[in-house]
Amino acid sequence: MDVRRLVRVGAICGAVTVYFALVGLTDRFAKLALVGSSVTMGRLVLVIAPLIAGYAVGRPRTRSGTTVSLPIRDAVVHGLVAGAIAGAVFALFVIFVDAFGVERVRGVFINVSPAMMEYVTFGQTAVVAALILTAASAVAGGLGGGYPVLPVTLRKPTGSAVLAVFALGFLQRIVPIALDQLNVERDWLYSRRLGGLTWAGAVVVAAIAASLSILKQRKGDRIRELVRAPSVEGSTRPSGTQIVVALVLLGLVLVTPLLVGSVISNVLGFVLIFALLGLGLNIVVGYAGLLDLGYVFFFAVGAYSLALLTGASLNTFTGSGPPAVSADLNFWVAVPIVMLIAAGAGVLIGAPVLRLRGDYLALVTLGLGEMVTVLLRSPWLEPLVGGPSGMRGVTDAAIGGFGFQDPVHFYYLGIAFVAFAAFISWRLASSRIGRAWTAMREDEQIADAMGVSTTRYKLLAFAMGGAIGSLGGALFAVKIGSLTPASFELLVSIQVLGIVILGGIGSIPGVIVGSLVLVGLPGLLREFEEYRLLAYGAAIVAVMLLRPQGLVPNVRRSRELHEEDEAQDKWAGDVPRDEHVAAGISPEGTGAG
Amino acid sequence: MTTSRWVTFTVGVLALALVSAGCSNDSSTGGASGGGAVDCASVQFGCVEVAADAPINLGTLLATSGDNADLGTDSLNGVKLAIDHLDGTFDQTDGQVLGHDVKLTNEDDLCSADGGQAGGQALAADDSIVAVIGTSCSSAALGVADTILSQKGVLLFSPSNTNPALTAEGTHQPFYARTAHNDRIQGAIVAEFAAGDMVGAKTAATIADESPYTQGLTAAFEANWENAGGTVTDSEQINSEDTDFKPVLQTIAATNPDVLYFPVFVSACSLIIKQAKDIMPDTTKIVSDGCLSSDTLKNTGDSVDGVYASSPDLSAFQSNTAYADEFIPAYKDAFGTAPLSVFHAHAYDAANVIFQAIQQVAIDNGDGTLSIPRQALRDAVFATSGYDGLTGTITCTPLGDCATDVTIGVFKAPGWPVEGGSGNQKAVFTDTKSLEDVL
Amino acid sequence: MTIAEGAPATSVADVRLSTFERLPWRRIILVLLAIVIVAVTTIGIYKTLTSPEAANYSGEFWAQLTVDGLSYGAILSMVALGYSMVYGILRMINFAHGEVFMAGGFASFFFANAYAKSGFLNSNTVVAVLIVMTVSVLVSVGVALLLERVCYRPLRNAPRLVPLITAIGASLFIQNSFRGFFGPQSYGYPRPSSLNGQVPILGVHVNKIDIAVLVVAVVCMLVLQMFVSRTKTGRSMRAVAEDREIASLMGIDVDRTIAITFAVGGVLAGIAGVLFGMTFQQIQFTSGFTLGIAAFTAAVLGGIGSIGGATLGGFLIGVLRAVGPVLILTGFGIPSVHSLNEAFVFLVLVLVLVFRPGGLLGTGEAEKV
Repeated sequence: MDVRRLVRVGAICGAVTVYFALVGLTDRFAKLALVGSSVTMGRLVLVIAPLIAGYAVGRPRTRSGTTVSLPIRDAVVHGLVAGAIAGAVFALFVIFVDAFGVERVRGVFINVSPAMMEYVTFGQTAVVAALILTAASAVAGGLGGGYPVLPVTLRKPTGSAVLAVFALGFLQRIVPIALDQLNVERDWLYSRRLGGLTWAGAVVVAAIAASLSILKQRKGDRIRELVRAPSVEGSTRPSGTQIVVALVLLGLVLVTPLLVGSVISNVLGFVLIFALLGLGLNIVVGYAGLLDLGYVFFFAVGAYSLALLTGASLNTFTGSGPPAVSADLNFWVAVPIVMLIAAGAGVLIGAPVLRLRGDYLALVTLGLGEMVTVLLRSPWLEPLVGGPSGMRGVTDAAIGGFGFQDPVHFYYLGIAFVAFAAFISWRLASSRIGRAWTAMREDEQIADAMGVSTTRYKLLAFAMGGAIGSLGGALFAVKIGSLTPASFELLVSIQVLGIVILGGIGSIPGVIVGSLVLVGLPGLLREFEEYRLLAYGAAIVAVMLLRPQGLVPNVRRSRELHEEDEAQDKWAGDVPRDEHVAAGISPEGTGAG
Repeated sequence: MTTSRWVTFTVGVLALALVSAGCSNDSSTGGASGGGAVDCASVQFGCVEVAADAPINLGTLLATSGDNADLGTDSLNGVKLAIDHLDGTFDQTDGQVLGHDVKLTNEDDLCSADGGQAGGQALAADDSIVAVIGTSCSSAALGVADTILSQKGVLLFSPSNTNPALTAEGTHQPFYARTAHNDRIQGAIVAEFAAGDMVGAKTAATIADESPYTQGLTAAFEANWENAGGTVTDSEQINSEDTDFKPVLQTIAATNPDVLYFPVFVSACSLIIKQAKDIMPDTTKIVSDGCLSSDTLKNTGDSVDGVYASSPDLSAFQSNTAYADEFIPAYKDAFGTAPLSVFHAHAYDAANVIFQAIQQVAIDNGDGTLSIPRQALRDAVFATSGYDGLTGTITCTPLGDCATDVTIGVFKAPGWPVEGGSGNQKAVFTDTKSLEDVL
Repeated sequence: MTIAEGAPATSVADVRLSTFERLPWRRIILVLLAIVIVAVTTIGIYKTLTSPEAANYSGEFWAQLTVDGLSYGAILSMVALGYSMVYGILRMINFAHGEVFMAGGFASFFFANAYAKSGFLNSNTVVAVLIVMTVSVLVSVGVALLLERVCYRPLRNAPRLVPLITAIGASLFIQNSFRGFFGPQSYGYPRPSSLNGQVPILGVHVNKIDIAVLVVAVVCMLVLQMFVSRTKTGRSMRAVAEDREIASLMGIDVDRTIAITFAVGGVLAGIAGVLFGMTFQQIQFTSGFTLGIAAFTAAVLGGIGSIGGATLGGFLIGVLRAVGPVLILTGFGIPSVHSLNEAFVFLVLVLVLVFRPGGLLGTGEAEKV
């Protein structure tokens, strides 16, 4: 038993629990019931770190090429110890606060309140609470330790069951609404009084999840084969099964807003807007390999151009006024013009940064994005874009009399645009332009020597990526109907980058998934708003460390910016050409190419 | 190729069918009515149907989390007290309207356009919501929540939006009203104070930040200042997240103004106060309620002495004994603290105006159910005249400004009416104006 | 089209390129751009100085602005040094360095506040300030080392995009963790009373605190320069920056050296945090973010990877920010020029990079064949 390791892991996880308490998670979600009345989020926060400690010490490790897996008894014991240590660390913290005085600690760490202390001590004295915490953490650690060494047939169903119960308990604001919308009886599943799952409901959910997992284990490969294989060996035409699957998926996508109601459709509308932005950035970052940290620029250009072209007015002190330059066009006439403007702006952006690589490019694009925010707010451009008060009265994207203001209608408009953008991205990827980008990304100098004009293709990337991004901006303007500079800040650029990275660089379905996770979830779980950015940062770090190829990776395009970027540095000397890409990318990949 | 085309065509037709089916399923608001002069089935926006033992659903769209949580929570507390007082006393038991309880559906406006949009949508989607009290921040209402709810016919009644554009000709939304003052009044009174005997200034400079709130105030100030013959020597705009304002202040100092008016928020405001102390020691400095907070006093120490702050003068309410003797103690009892912000009374009044309007227009169907016509409710609120509220007399204009005579007080630091303020915390200057008096 | 057998390469190139493509477009555009910039700047300055507002702008006014800029620039330089050093050794931008700075400043606030309340700050200023700085440095170094261990060491061989994104995520995480710990409000940072007030130097009123900041910053940079050039550790750092593989073959502990680099950056950031707190007398969880981006800009402007570059960049950005918009933009009748401060600074950065892609003190060329 490597005691040092156990102590180290345990101590770190204990510190994590302390962190949760200091940052306010334990307190804030103490009451959020996941199952029944006793399994609350607060309690989960207290034991999750010890559980992970147990998992970390119990799982099989690879040493010198061989995988060593502990017998289950040892794994559990390891987990118990690590969990106990984690619990002890947190218990020490509790004792310390108690001894020092809650109010004094609260003067520094605002979340250490009497209420929080009451919660973590379970109403007992500090010493008794310490014992309870250590014991509970030990149990959690033991469970975590035992889990990875269970036989696969037991492990996966258990994992799926627990995950499913947690997910449905966590999403207690969304799922019941959707069920209500479908007129499905749901009181057996979700307790109205407590908010979370009922015990009966939890058992059912666990059973279903476990069964699905077992099914996947037995039949998964066969099903996958069936879906993937073409009808005739070597042909590119989709097989019958594939067509049916595609149709079913398409049908689901189309009926979703009718199933989930207008509140959720509203959130999905934003998901689609950000998916558009993501597709645009995907062209710049994913296809052409240009790290753009200022993508909000195109978002703003799209939104404000559309507003100005469709006759929106400025919000002024006395009411509203016309902008210095405006036109009163129909939405559908204005959109191509907006795309052209964005493409032109993209060329303008691209021109000065042609020769920059990597980090320099990132910084300059970041600066350009910031400039946009500054300019939108400035008194100088106020006669054009309305300054901080912004603009209002963007025309609806109506066709005939059919308007898109309703969230459900807007969803379909969004789907149409996203489909259009996805189609263009897909065609670009396998076109000459796409191949030129790939060449450029792989080795810029050789590409240049082969006659691929990097200048032209870089500018093209900015132009096309920008044009698609501007579509997102235009839709945004239509959806909200009024624009303020507050919606166009650096954070948007980071969010879009996060969507592309999380989903998988260069992967079109990845962008959709990324948007669902990074825009959809926070939009639906609005009571976690305060912790949104914190979770965001943690998620980005976690993804980059654990799975940098993203959720739905794209094989070819997951190769990222190359080392010859370092040629920009005079100190570089001969940097070894490292073929390593970040851990975890397998050549086979799993996403669609 | 042909198969794919056919597939695409079928899918397209199916899609269109689904879409048109989905859209035609949009339920219209309200349903059949009982008797009464209003025919719920045919009137625009319909009626809200309240079932026989169901509560009346009042929505709120306030900033209850984040940096402005005090503002929103304070207003929400005001609404809760109004529900409590329905039975005539503050006894922490709620009263009823027309025999029905009142329940609150709370959304967070996040003090931003996004929050206003999401919260507004959520509330608009709920057919049982009679009216909404909100938003806290002007940015959540302007062009967002006010439009969304007006399109649905849901009244949005704000206790703390002060941006002039919300009730201006051309931008005002028909279902929007507010009990908070219009910042045109506050800007005008600040201008009056600066020109008056206490300060006697002839030249002024302003600093605004990137929020609509400060823009409205500085614009109102400048308009009234110039109208009265004063000169604006410089108008600057800063970024509220910045820390170094010395260049801006130097530039302003070079124009030698008598008064510097910078109604920005706590963080930037504290920094400007500290930096201006060295750069422009003789210039009179004036801020507004965005800066009027105990945090500013803590951050600035001695430097804040002599800085004037304008704000709704709650002591005007003190003359109304109901406020001092009943409301404030009830607030402390129910929520454990003194009021967190200045708009709780405005929220209280807004809720009560709505309750009164419900009583006026609701149709009792005789079987314990109520039908509340939306348009009539809105009209009743807008027709409020001479209503005696905590904040004064409430008479609503057609453009939604219900705070008729607004009293703004100017306080001199360190005697600010917040925690940490010293002295008697009384205004050194107050004035009451109505919208007709100002530009 | 076939390539004529035996024909020299140049004639093939000539055949394939048209006259249009053979013009030195890049040169032409650069020259034109330079002319435009010089023209705009000169016209702007001229118009500003002859405009009616400028009657108020005495020589003292411009001097005062410059001094203000230098003072802010000193703090920027110290933070920029951290960026530069990490980049020099790792070729990676530590996007979260601004939070390293904020963490130290914030942690030290609680000590400084306690000392101010008890009067210790004013009675034993030197001791108190030293203790406060030590706390700040310890926390900053701690955060820096944590960042290195978690975000940079595992990703050392990854494509450049990955650690950059990770650092962005880390920056968000640290910032919002501090928000969670201490709340979103700003805290008033105390200043020793001996540093209050101004001294007149050559007709310009200079704040005492600004002088202190400049002195401390310059001393720190000199110490750093000596450290890097004279000590064994400094030599190791330069060696690893030059060529990591060979340095490790020479027996240098690369991991340790990189950690020390981060730590040194952390020390500078920690000191800068206290200086910042005492200058502006305010600290908030967002204090690191905006300043971090400004410092990053400064490092790139000066030429990232060099100590001199970071220093030059910092002071330059400080002065540009303070003086530039007023001097150049006022003449064009742009209202409220200070609202365009950041835009102005970035524009300068972009233009500098167009002409010198390696930064001012970097090489003139971006390509390395």
